[in-house]
Amino acid sequence: MKLDQYEEDMLAGKHGPGKRRCMELLTKFGEAMGADRMVPIRSAHTMPKEPLELLEDLTEGVDRLGAFTTIHPTMSAFSLRNWEQMGISPDFAERELSVHRKRQEIYKKAGFYETYTCLPMLAGNLARPGERVSWIGTGLQLMANSILGARTNRDGTVVNLAGAITGRAPYYGFYEDENRKAQVQVDLKSLDVGRMDSADWGALGYWVGAKAESRNVVFSNLPELDLDRLRYLLPPLSVTGSVGICHIVGVTPEAASLEQALGNRPPEEIITVGPDQVEEARSLYARGNRDVELTIFGCPHCTITELGVIARLVKGKRLTPGKRLWIGTGHQTYALAVLMGFAKDIEDAGGVFASACMSAIPEPPIPASVKTVSTNSFKAAHYISRLTRGAVEVWTADLQECLEAVLD
Amino acid sequence: MVLKGRVINAGSVTAEAVVLDTPFSFIGDFDADTGRLLLGGHALEGESIAGKVLVMPTGKGGTIAPWIAFEAAKRNIAPAAILCRKGEPITCECAITIDIPMLDSFEENILDVIETGQRVRIDGDTVTVE
Repeated sequence: MKLDQYEEDMLAGKHGPGKRRCMELLTKFGEAMGADRMVPIRSAHTMPKEPLELLEDLTEGVDRLGAFTTIHPTMSAFSLRNWEQMGISPDFAERELSVHRKRQEIYKKAGFYETYTCLPMLAGNLARPGERVSWIGTGLQLMANSILGARTNRDGTVVNLAGAITGRAPYYGFYEDENRKAQVQVDLKSLDVGRMDSADWGALGYWVGAKAESRNVVFSNLPELDLDRLRYLLPPLSVTGSVGICHIVGVTPEAASLEQALGNRPPEEIITVGPDQVEEARSLYARGNRDVELTIFGCPHCTITELGVIARLVKGKRLTPGKRLWIGTGHQTYALAVLMGFAKDIEDAGGVFASACMSAIPEPPIPASVKTVSTNSFKAAHYISRLTRGAVEVWTADLQECLEAVLD
Repeated sequence: MVLKGRVINAGSVTAEAVVLDTPFSFIGDFDADTGRLLLGGHALEGESIAGKVLVMPTGKGGTIAPWIAFEAAKRNIAPAAILCRKGEPITCECAITIDIPMLDSFEENILDVIETGQRVRIDGDTVTVE
């Protein structure tokens, strides 16, 4: 692999042992991927549950990261601020907190921005079309490529961290135009998209992901969608499949037309999706009994507009005693929700906010008393039902129904 | 028998092989407390890969897999090497992170020429089945 002078210097240890170790990892990985060079990355977004020893090793001697770097939500619903209100056990919290405080010392010293959100584009890390970045989280990687038109590979946590620290990444995969073209075309037929609720959008992505597997997708005939619908539709494609880019004609910057998304080639496969397919996915997390102990929103993190919707629905009401409402949102969005009065309405009703991941939650931190969860997120439903190994049943429904299930 | 492969991460090791016929992930297919395979009804369910040469078609999914491999290596329950038909990004990243030999792209189908329990010597791009 051909390296420039700065990269050679890092590899030779001239910028400290941490950057040397990172460049060693990146060059070996790049060579395995067939990359012939490194490229600078505009920003990174890393995951805050690094094994401490690894984080210390890779940041040894690093007082400035190589790229502007934001951080993913604290993992598995663990809110640093208000875990007690969430009903999380003190034993679990103390274990998490003691390690996390040590990570935070490193974050501050090296200059990580502690955003703790899976929507870093709403918290100062706005990657633009064509910019190369290294962002973590399979759902976010898909959204970065598909909504922003930025370019990220589906890096794992170590290559990603090494990218943040050095500001470099091997040139391969989704950085190259050729590898971004759609292979599978999805046509919607007889689907009344105007009537689809948030869970329907997730169900659509969940169904399509299983068919697409690891191939690039294009939706040929979706109407213009707002961010709230896009963030329910896209992440499930990386749950049932490992899709890295999903073009939406008219939304994705490099998909002004279907032909452009496909690279002027015919698709490998055309998949037609209608109400039956959405219903098939919905039926996977449907149940008759609506008596749930916990409702979870915020996978991906709730936007301020969605917090406004929730606030209007719960204003003046109370959760049924013993029931819980957890809302994942970035602490920046929470600050705005406080200003807007949304936070008060929701907290007065008994809801709690967490700048934490609402997807892959085992028990704990899900309190032992919780046997049934409702959520409007198909990604959260998928992972919670699997990680709790059947101990918690997950039911998906639209936001309003999920709220009604826990309100008095 | 001597096989030549493409080196993804270089090193030398001699260890017993575990030959898996399905794609492997450190998330889901691996018990990070014991180093054993978690494969449901598969014949190799419960087989330890700690200190073994893991032979497999390819790897799969999971962005946090390198952390799991790292924690496993710290506790000496990670595999000693990985040989596969085709290395995909995340498994390459795992092997490079914990610095164990990993090779792919053999002329032979390595799933046919290596059997579970055989001793395998890896040195650079050369794999010797003893």
